[in-house]
Amino acid sequence: MNTLLILFGNLLSSISRFFNLGSGSTWPGHITLFLNPNFIQQILEKNNLKIILIAGTNGKTTTGKLIQAILEGNNKKVFQNQAGANLLNGIASSLIFNSNLLGIIKKDFAIFEIDESTLPLILKEIINPDYIIILNLFRDQLDRYGEINTISKKWGDSIQHLPSKVTLILNADDPQVAFLGKSRPNTLYFGINPLKNKGEKFQHASDSIYCPNCNAKLTYKTICFSHLGDWACKECNYERPKKTFISSLHYPLSGTYNEYNTNAAILLTQTLGLKKDKITASLKDFKPAFGRQEILDINGKKIQIFLSKNPTGFNESLKTITNLNAKNLILLLNDRIPDGRDVSWIWDVDFEEFSSQFKNIVVSGDRTYDMGLRLKYAELKKFIIEENIAKAITIALSKMTNNETLYILATYSAMLEVRKILTGKKIL
Amino acid sequence: MKNYALTIGWLYPELMSTYGDRGNIIVLQKRCKWRGIEVEIRRLNVGFDEKQLTTCDMLFMGGAQDKQQQIVAEDLMKKREKLRRMIDDGIPGLYICGAYQFLGKYYKEADGTIINSLKIFDLFTENPGIRFSRQIGASAALVLNNKIIVGFENHGGRTYLGKKIKPFGKVIKGFGNNGKDQTEGAVYKNSFGTYFHGPILPKNPEFADHLIKLSLEKKYKKFPIHLSPLNDALELQAHRFALNAIKI
Repeated sequence: MNTLLILFGNLLSSISRFFNLGSGSTWPGHITLFLNPNFIQQILEKNNLKIILIAGTNGKTTTGKLIQAILEGNNKKVFQNQAGANLLNGIASSLIFNSNLLGIIKKDFAIFEIDESTLPLILKEIINPDYIIILNLFRDQLDRYGEINTISKKWGDSIQHLPSKVTLILNADDPQVAFLGKSRPNTLYFGINPLKNKGEKFQHASDSIYCPNCNAKLTYKTICFSHLGDWACKECNYERPKKTFISSLHYPLSGTYNEYNTNAAILLTQTLGLKKDKITASLKDFKPAFGRQEILDINGKKIQIFLSKNPTGFNESLKTITNLNAKNLILLLNDRIPDGRDVSWIWDVDFEEFSSQFKNIVVSGDRTYDMGLRLKYAELKKFIIEENIAKAITIALSKMTNNETLYILATYSAMLEVRKILTGKKIL
Repeated sequence: MKNYALTIGWLYPELMSTYGDRGNIIVLQKRCKWRGIEVEIRRLNVGFDEKQLTTCDMLFMGGAQDKQQQIVAEDLMKKREKLRRMIDDGIPGLYICGAYQFLGKYYKEADGTIINSLKIFDLFTENPGIRFSRQIGASAALVLNNKIIVGFENHGGRTYLGKKIKPFGKVIKGFGNNGKDQTEGAVYKNSFGTYFHGPILPKNPEFADHLIKLSLEKKYKKFPIHLSPLNDALELQAHRFALNAIKI
């Protein structure tokens, strides 16, 4: 039965790509799981893969790609589910694409990025992953995912049932994430050097600044961004885990959030026994995943796309491009299912802090007037509103010289649309 | 409008602001500023001195997650009497979602547990349990003077109004208080409770101005006070766009 499903799934995906209907990364898995709900378990049992799961609100795709680059640079064979195809169907699809007709996968590692709300379901299908990385938990698409306390409670419940041989790799700087490993054996922590954060203040969209253990307000020695930092509870003495991995190796991508992603990837690969210098070497020519700081060249002008899909992600993108001295900016807000139908969150983004330096701002997307209104109330003086994304790009490009970069901050579906416009290819 | 000043009390900005409700404060602040009305936002976090309440000419409180609401409930219960007197006295206020529910008599959990609330508004809220989904989606309601208010709802509780309180609006699209009786929100004296996020004020500038006007009139004991007009072309375009999206 599985042989037929694998054959059919691969065929479906080829047809989809041939007609440019998207890369067909979820449909084969979807149909397969409908016909055989045990497909994932059966295929994994047949193969001796090391399995790495990555969950968290922001940074899953980039962290997965970093790990893949390091492992491949050290002669391991690796496959991943496609970026964004992070529900059960996306994972089943990746198994279909990477196995032969007998269901044999000739790889050493499987890396799966997992949607926040799907993690408990996945842990029912993949009972014995080798590693689980949890990057962070921020408010994101509240209409779809629910509130973050609800998510972290569900995560806690499923992690409790994991065998202790599963290695948990957690962000120490995120109180609610760190709490998942409290008194659990075989848990490792990563973070970033707290001394680097001096002088940051709380952003408005800070979610977990109350103690996950006793509900008292946390105190922070230093704050990195949102609720990430060097935290401690004065009431119950629970604090940021002391033994936290903070590498200061070369970071291949800009932005503090990418230091977290990189440190998570390095901690995991060091745990696998890889040497520091070999890890660094394999990250030298790292190319970002599509839409995650990806750079495109359009007729001699540079465009860099920053997927920015929730308040924390948006703030960090704004901070990063400010440090890159950005002058030209497009903000794209869509409200389709993968973006979240509710756009209220743009009012939790701290646009007021970043108003001064941009000379050329265009807003566009399905909810362009909402974004325009947000900028108006942040008192940004000059910006152009253009409903059509292709036209918005043309307008922004026409206002800049050849050696400048156009930065595009976009929600998920808007990011895909931009890539389709600029490269002519559909991704998902 | 240079000779006017307002102090807006923002109840629990650190905890009760999950759904972009800060936008309401930004809108009130800027629409005062653009008219030359001096405005101060007083952030009232857990443990604030209740005397600060009486210095406020308008109050605002947003919604939050359950755990955060518990922390707030404990703190606000201690200040209940002062808050009740201000609301009874007609101090204007806007209370969104969780804050709105909390002004009522009680919140009944799915398992029957009753959580006492502030008992200022004549209403109660029930959570029907996980078999019923949260009421989520873009919404519109008709309020006084035949104005349409647009917003986005996301709530698990169903609220039922008593006899001593009026609904804020009549549901045109969405769920409103409970998905049954077509009422949305509540009005008591000059206090408004609503389930509409969005946030509610940016795309409904007339409602924002109504709150500012009420606050000025109350503070300066002058009726009526006319606000100087602002250019609301973008606000109204966003409002129209939101209505088009839900085919109204």
